[in-house]
Amino acid sequence: MMQDQKSKSNPDEWVELNMGPQHPSTHGVLRLKLKLDGEIVKDVEPIIGYLHRNAEKICELDYYCDAMMYFDRMDYVAAMNMEVGYLEAAEKLLGIPPPERAQWIRVVMAELSRIAAHLVWAGAYGLDLGMLTPFFYCFVEREKILDIFVEVSGSRQQVNYMSIGGVYQDFNDKIIAKIEAFLDQFPGKLEDIYKAFINNDIFISRTKGIGILEPEVAIDYGVTGPMLRASGIPYDIRKEEPYLVYDKINFDIPISHKKDNLARFIVRFEEMRQSVKIVKQAIKQIPEGPYFNPKSKKSLMIRLRGEGEYYARTESPKGEFGVYLVGDGGVKPYRIHVRSPSFKNLSVLPVLARDTMVADMVAISGTIDLVFGEVDR
Amino acid sequence: MNVLTHLAQFFSPLGHYISYILAYLFETIFFIIFVMVVLVMMIYLFRKYMARLQLRIGPNRVGKFGLLQLIADSMKLVGKETILPKNRDDLPYKVAPVLVFLGLVLAFALLPYGDFFYIGSLTITHSGVSVILLFAAIAIMPVGELLAGVSSSNKYAVMGALRGVAKDVSFEIPMMISVLALVMMASGRTSSPLNLESLVSTQFIPYGIPEVIGLFVFFIAMVARASYSPFDMAESDSELVSGHSTEYTGMRFGLFYMGMFGSIFLGSMMVSLLYLGGYNGPFSSDAGFIYLLIKTMILVLISFTIWLSLPRIRIDKFVNMGWKYLLPISIINLIIAGFLTLGVGVL
Repeated sequence: MMQDQKSKSNPDEWVELNMGPQHPSTHGVLRLKLKLDGEIVKDVEPIIGYLHRNAEKICELDYYCDAMMYFDRMDYVAAMNMEVGYLEAAEKLLGIPPPERAQWIRVVMAELSRIAAHLVWAGAYGLDLGMLTPFFYCFVEREKILDIFVEVSGSRQQVNYMSIGGVYQDFNDKIIAKIEAFLDQFPGKLEDIYKAFINNDIFISRTKGIGILEPEVAIDYGVTGPMLRASGIPYDIRKEEPYLVYDKINFDIPISHKKDNLARFIVRFEEMRQSVKIVKQAIKQIPEGPYFNPKSKKSLMIRLRGEGEYYARTESPKGEFGVYLVGDGGVKPYRIHVRSPSFKNLSVLPVLARDTMVADMVAISGTIDLVFGEVDR
Repeated sequence: MNVLTHLAQFFSPLGHYISYILAYLFETIFFIIFVMVVLVMMIYLFRKYMARLQLRIGPNRVGKFGLLQLIADSMKLVGKETILPKNRDDLPYKVAPVLVFLGLVLAFALLPYGDFFYIGSLTITHSGVSVILLFAAIAIMPVGELLAGVSSSNKYAVMGALRGVAKDVSFEIPMMISVLALVMMASGRTSSPLNLESLVSTQFIPYGIPEVIGLFVFFIAMVARASYSPFDMAESDSELVSGHSTEYTGMRFGLFYMGMFGSIFLGSMMVSLLYLGGYNGPFSSDAGFIYLLIKTMILVLISFTIWLSLPRIRIDKFVNMGWKYLLPISIINLIIAGFLTLGVGVL
């Protein structure tokens, strides 16, 4: 019966619906052109660019150290991970490796930021599905992480904490006590939030078996991050090509073979648990020593020169975040290009959403975890 | 003694006819004030309760405990500029919110409220077929929503209206059948089972105890009628912006908004009247209105908790649920009610 209707439907009679850029479920400024046959989505065309700020080009007009703040504003819910990504490339290009202590501090901060980003995602996904309450429980926990960020950097979201050759401020006892206090109470709260979703039959019926992403399709489209791991491929830069000190830390890469929305949800929650594990290990192992490479004194920062080209990949909460950096020997980078995971992940939405219902389309686009600062740059 | 006779007595120096005309007038005014107070109170309660559940504080700036916030908000709504869509169908567009609100107020006017100490019975309408009238009044509201969706010439609104129709069709038949079971049970004890007052006063044991299935079906139907989560597919904000009320602004939108909160209260009150014994209480029958309010408020809080904690169900799954599960079990419930009334004769 359903099949009959599908074959009968005439493309000329499809309704074209414009979803976004000002729409409650499009997470910022995504615009989707939908072709609808009744409630069934026949075609999706994502239209992006409403938050384009030309960040890569602006970075090329500025000194190496100033590019940091544009990276903060790319994936603005996980600014620390963006900074790690840029510095991986910039420090190699400029030949200023960060000292051991700074690397451990960066790992702690990046993982806290990953938890914060996934919490934002979980809350927003609840809103997409019509659950109003878990959002606030997620944000209360995120707020505690932002408090730690304020303590170390003085800023909540656009932290600008790390800098070439180290970090802006050393860890002191107060910061470590704050992080430990957070780690003590967070796993319990995380389980509460997890149960609020997973023990709910309607939530399961909205996510299970919907938005199936085959691993071959995912690889074809360049999907990375939790979306790829939920399709059963254990690909994580932290294990594949360890940067910072991830090779000295014991953690697992959560994967799922279910390939659907629910799998992506579970993988992201498992990643938060793993991040807690990483931070717990890292906070104990931070060595004594300088937190800043003396070669990059603050007064010399704008005179740093680099030559050559580097491509650094890091694992941001959304997936593989790559930074391609070319220096021509001057004080400003010659070329910066960013491989943003959200953008690549978004490209698979038309495949996932074809022949689903409008409600499922929203549920699927929620699991992609789009942050438009990063898609449009 | 009821409100009307009290008022007529008060105005009696003016003569028989004039006193009754004035009494009717003032009863209407009191009733409308009651409905308005209920709506404002519901919205305030919802915001405070939602804030408590969500680890927030809620309105607390305007007036003590933010009590005047809702008055300020409604003032703002009245004062807002009315933006009309260009391609609207003018008459239905303007009539729709009024229809929704009218259905709500009519339904409130038909409910029996029980006694309240000195005043006596608070019931306004004394009709032999008030059950039928009540459901007829409730059935006006979806008409308003459909008109709003179709007339505002917006694709989201049309889709919301279509979903709303699909939803209404699939839950209203089970709802009516479960009420029919109640009428059947009441017919053994009273000569006018279609009168809400006699339906309530025959509940020596609340009908919710022998009619658990009916209570379940009717409560689900009332959740769907008020269309909040999990059954808010028609105005789901993450998919259809806000469904049929997308193109409305100002007080017209306010009427839809109040219609929604009003129907939560109305649904809770109908469940407590039909299934939980209504204004029958343990001690004095004078406090009937208080008992009714207590039962209603408990149900309202349960509704809010459901609203705030459950995600939205998909429209096709809801329609499936309505036709494949709710309808058969409401028919089974009807058969059980028949046995309880005639075959066994216990109740």
